[in-house]
Amino acid sequence: MHCEAVCKRYGRGRWILSDVDMEVTAGEVLAVVGGNGSGKSTLLRILVGLSRPTSGTVSVRPRRIGYVPDRFTAHDRVSAISYLTHMGRIRGMPGSAARARGRHLLDRLSLVGGQDAPLRTLSKGNAQKVALAQALLVEPDLLVLDEPWSGLDVSAHGVLAEFIDEAAARGGAVVFTDHREAITGTYADGAYALHDGRVTRLGGQHTAGHASLVELVLTVPTTGVPPVEVDWRALPGVVDASGRDESVVLRVAREHSDAVLLTALQHHWSVDGLARAAAGRAGHRVDSGRAAL
Amino acid sequence: MIALVRYMFTVMLLSQRYLAPLLLFVGLLAVLTSSDSGPLAATYASAAGALLVCSVWLTMALVGLEDRTHRSVLVVSVGSRLRTLLGSVTTAVLWCLLLTVAGLGLPLVFGTHSPVLADLVLGAEAQLTCAFTGIAIGLVCSRPVVRRQGHALVLALVLVLAALLAKGVSPVNVLLTDLQNTSDSTGLLGSTAVLLVVATGVLAVGAAITHAVTLRKD
Repeated sequence: MHCEAVCKRYGRGRWILSDVDMEVTAGEVLAVVGGNGSGKSTLLRILVGLSRPTSGTVSVRPRRIGYVPDRFTAHDRVSAISYLTHMGRIRGMPGSAARARGRHLLDRLSLVGGQDAPLRTLSKGNAQKVALAQALLVEPDLLVLDEPWSGLDVSAHGVLAEFIDEAAARGGAVVFTDHREAITGTYADGAYALHDGRVTRLGGQHTAGHASLVELVLTVPTTGVPPVEVDWRALPGVVDASGRDESVVLRVAREHSDAVLLTALQHHWSVDGLARAAAGRAGHRVDSGRAAL
Repeated sequence: MIALVRYMFTVMLLSQRYLAPLLLFVGLLAVLTSSDSGPLAATYASAAGALLVCSVWLTMALVGLEDRTHRSVLVVSVGSRLRTLLGSVTTAVLWCLLLTVAGLGLPLVFGTHSPVLADLVLGAEAQLTCAFTGIAIGLVCSRPVVRRQGHALVLALVLVLAALLAKGVSPVNVLLTDLQNTSDSTGLLGSTAVLLVVATGVLAVGAAITHAVTLRKD
């Protein structure tokens, strides 16, 4: 998805954004940095389709979008879990699945104050957790977060980073804003700076960034000799392990992929495929040749 | 759409913001129709007039329930601003249907009447005509369109008065005049149905204006 020459102003007021060009690709985590009132939120509202640009175009907006606003003040008497269930249903999930997913997300975020407590009794940080959870009920193709770190406690910071990683690893694009430039290096693959309504792409691509995952597909060798069972999840760097027919699909952090590969070969597994998972489903297959042992 | 309406209905129910318009409606019915034994058409005309005011209030409360952030999240979840607005309209219609049932039943309890089917159908048509016009007014005066509550209230009053008093133009005015001057419900069924269609058109125009203004403001 990309924005081309996007300009925005409200009524006859000052220009909040002028000539914004931005490219958001699947599987990428982008940060937008800028001071207070620099137009970050407006840019995000345009990205998710809440605002229409005064001029310019935003093309191919994905269908499933998760949006987390910067403030989520709720006066509702609806409980957190019932709010999430309703939002899940609105997004087309069955009620029970939405409730289960909501509970799972709130558990991970360790919501304080009770999942059955009315939204309006929740503190700012806890309301923010509910806002985060509603954006992740369905796996979003585009996840947009407005200053997600503000208001969250330190333990939730780690979970938030995990959510961002997972969304990107599944091939979703993530865009978040923050006023601190330092944070972008830790979490984002790329960054845009917003100043006086104009964006500039910041340098410093993090090639070995957090989102670098390697997808490893292992099978039984053609010789038919069954390989030795390995507890993949116990190995360092393994994010996910799943079985598919006779093969095993592993997602491994780039820095541990060589060690995991060696372990697999030593246990008589055959390598069926190797791909960079961070680049999404259309990742570059490095080697799909069968390396039978 | 069902999920959206279900959510909006629940939020409204839990917020208890429906209580004031509901009580006003029941109160107006009690004042206007108690110990009444005249033709039912005229009785239902007063019930319809009461519903006009209450449907405006109910719609403004319903649409204004969520603040901008909350509504943004909802619009992104629904995936379209227009569909969210249609959800609000459907929910408002649903609430007004409940009020219409009360508006049909309570006058029979408060007064002494011998209703026939034509009376009830005419009453339903009349009240829905007023409800649809009221929802249109409520939408145009709702918080996303008119941010200042005071301005919204004045605008709502002006529009309700216009709907009641604009002779020959407003479906509500035509309806109330027709119903006050008849004792034969069956004869009015056709013309009232036409007025209901006109009121549906008014509702569509109200929704279109609301959609256009909110698009411009965001």
